Amino acid sequence: MSTEIFGFDGVNVWVDGLVRVLLIVGFMTVVVMGLIYGERKILARFQQRLGPTRTGPVGLLQSVADALKLVGKEDLRPRNADAWTFELAPYLVFVPVFLGFVIVPFVLDWQVRILELGLLYFVAVTGINIVGWIMAGWGSDNRYAMIGGMRAAAQGISYELPLVLSLLAVAMVVEVPSDSATGESLRGSLNLNEIIAAQAEIPNLVWQPLVLIVFFIAALAELNRTPFDIPVGESEVVGGPFVEYSGIRWSMFFLAEYAALLIMSLIFAAVFLGGWAWPAGLFQDDPWPRWAQALLVTGKAGLFIFMVFWVRASVPRLRIDQLMSFTWKILLPLMFAQVLINGLVLVYDWPEIVLTVTGLVGVLVLVMAVDRAVRHPRPRPAPATQLEGEAAS
Amino acid sequence: MIPDEFGRVVILLGVALAFPALPLLVSYLLYLFHIRPERPDPIKHETYECGVIAEGGSWGQFNARYYLFALGFVIFDVEVVFLYPWAVIHADLAATALVKAAIFIGILAFGLAYAWKRGALEWR
Repeated sequence: MSTEIFGFDGVNVWVDGLVRVLLIVGFMTVVVMGLIYGERKILARFQQRLGPTRTGPVGLLQSVADALKLVGKEDLRPRNADAWTFELAPYLVFVPVFLGFVIVPFVLDWQVRILELGLLYFVAVTGINIVGWIMAGWGSDNRYAMIGGMRAAAQGISYELPLVLSLLAVAMVVEVPSDSATGESLRGSLNLNEIIAAQAEIPNLVWQPLVLIVFFIAALAELNRTPFDIPVGESEVVGGPFVEYSGIRWSMFFLAEYAALLIMSLIFAAVFLGGWAWPAGLFQDDPWPRWAQALLVTGKAGLFIFMVFWVRASVPRLRIDQLMSFTWKILLPLMFAQVLINGLVLVYDWPEIVLTVTGLVGVLVLVMAVDRAVRHPRPRPAPATQLEGEAAS
Repeated sequence: MIPDEFGRVVILLGVALAFPALPLLVSYLLYLFHIRPERPDPIKHETYECGVIAEGGSWGQFNARYYLFALGFVIFDVEVVFLYPWAVIHADLAATALVKAAIFIGILAFGLAYAWKRGALEWR
């Protein structure tokens, strides 16, 4: 069925796959450039500035100018850096993010390939880029880079857990129509198309409000965005793992960062806001035309991206001890509880409203925990006998 | 059909590997045509450390607290992977499957509580 799009019917599968992949590459590059411009513009507005205005009409060509400048810059490698690790690190940050695009459903029946294990595949491939961060940090042989790389690893793996568990919790509640003859339906799917189709009338955000918030927080941390940007904080570790990179290799990290933002937003739109299906399913049984679906998905993903920028403009950076406590002591137990509650409700066929209520209670607990932490902050931990990341010698 | 499930992943992997090479190639071409500068300099290739000469390398000992969190991650992440197959089919299994999963998660939660109690989650 999926090969009928754009008149690809009967075309060799490999050619079809290649065309789709190239379309997505082009799409991603353009969107990333737009996102960089958009972030600078929106952030500037939050800070009562104008942002880029000089290049092109209202600064629209800023990203193009930046890209040209970066390509034309000298590609430096510090003398002491480990050549292989240093030069391969951008690849390992970039490629996993890119691989995630396989499962992203842009509109109905249009994606590189819907995998039956979609969400598992997503968390599996996007987790790899932590290796790239460590390689960048270690390979540079720079103390700032080393500390940044270590922090990126610690934060990346810690927030991976709530992220994976939140996707798991959502996968549990998805209702999949299985047997048209008996009208029975199954629960639970990792296939993104099924997840979206199940939300045609009511998006998952209604059933899983807590999971949505935890996913958003964990996604912020996975993307190393403020307030979780300690690995790259300019005022602490001057750019972290990127400190020794320049020119084209540095731009690869940037590209990967925004590509990751884009893919997270699309996953968010698909998993929690019903992708292309909701609210179309409220009015008619058939899906809306493709352009309307594309608009829906763009709007939902745009909402996520805007919220990321908004948080960046509003919230200061967390300290690393606060950051680690937050995920291990609050997010992780909450997600375990949510998974168990989902299991209880679905196995015993309790009314679904229980999911909403318990989710809202969970949100309340989360808010109260954060409120308590803000009102009664723990003292800063005593400085260690040796500096973080400092060699003992 | 091999090309049709993960075959496309392989295609995307190929493109993903080739895509970053493209700007590198452009960058190299610019260098060949003397548009991009390439002027090595001993000071420029020094490790950056806010203007002072870096003493010693950074590949030394590192604080063990990172290691603790990495251990915790490995344990929990592996366990979560085991939960995925259960999550997909749990509603069609008997209630005993839920009990088993609850025991499984309970062991995890106990491990988390233990690590918490022992102070492994404190950032020192």
